[in-house]
Amino acid sequence: MSLNAKVMECAHVQENEMTRYIVDAASEVFATMVGLEIEDCYPLVEPVTQFHCSVTGMVGMAGSYTGMLSIHCPALLAMKVTSNMLGMEVDEVGDDVNDALGEIANMLGGHVKQVLSKGGLDLNLSIPTVISGETYTIRSIIDDDCVVIPFQCDGDRFLVGLTLRKEN
Amino acid sequence: MSNVLIVDDSSTMRKIITRSLRQAGLAVDNILEAGDGIEGLNALGSGSVDLILSDINMPNMDGLEFVKQARAQGCTAPIMMITTEGGEDIIGEALNSGANGSIRKPFTPDQLQEKLGGLL
Repeated sequence: MSLNAKVMECAHVQENEMTRYIVDAASEVFATMVGLEIEDCYPLVEPVTQFHCSVTGMVGMAGSYTGMLSIHCPALLAMKVTSNMLGMEVDEVGDDVNDALGEIANMLGGHVKQVLSKGGLDLNLSIPTVISGETYTIRSIIDDDCVVIPFQCDGDRFLVGLTLRKEN
Repeated sequence: MSNVLIVDDSSTMRKIITRSLRQAGLAVDNILEAGDGIEGLNALGSGSVDLILSDINMPNMDGLEFVKQARAQGCTAPIMMITTEGGEDIIGEALNSGANGSIRKPFTPDQLQEKLGGLL
């Protein structure tokens, strides 16, 4: 499992550099918007498709490249993240958690977009989509062209994934 | 009295911007919120606004179209884009449409103070 070689060649970026951009972006978002420190771990070797008691925020990319930036967060951590962002206690996965995880995905997607598209007009970000539940599966036909980075945060673990393809 | 209109489809981000404006010590008396460009235009029609902070990527009407229509309707308040969309071309399009500048998400209260201090 690795990012698509054609994408990396066209974007003039190595996979480890793209991974570093994502790690730096996530660290900045969590430090400034969430108020929590995070620590990245080595990227996974296999895609994760099944999630339990989790919340997933996703932003699609379309244009010169197609793909998806996603953040997968255990429900308890998602509530903690949302509480910090809103400055109030959140104790259920509902509209507030969905909105917060969607916005984090949006900010991370914006960073990735800046790496892939310096001008910004050849690549569009979708409005965020959020999925949550006790058990759910997310699959993409380009699951192999991705990188998934685990992060440790407040004693829990969340994942940030990037799936990309170059369009002709 | 300084009235600020925040146009962003994320209620979380509207709350963070509101809190950050207060933390930055900016002279804000009243904050109006809108969830997209259409709601933003409606808010402009219902009262005076001294500063507009708008996202770009929103459903129904995005921030670029909102800026164009706000200017076409005679809005003269400064408009700052607060967005993840940091590309030169898209920010250039926002400026050409009538925006006065941009602030990249994520941001700190200090960065808001630096960008907005002269406007309020």
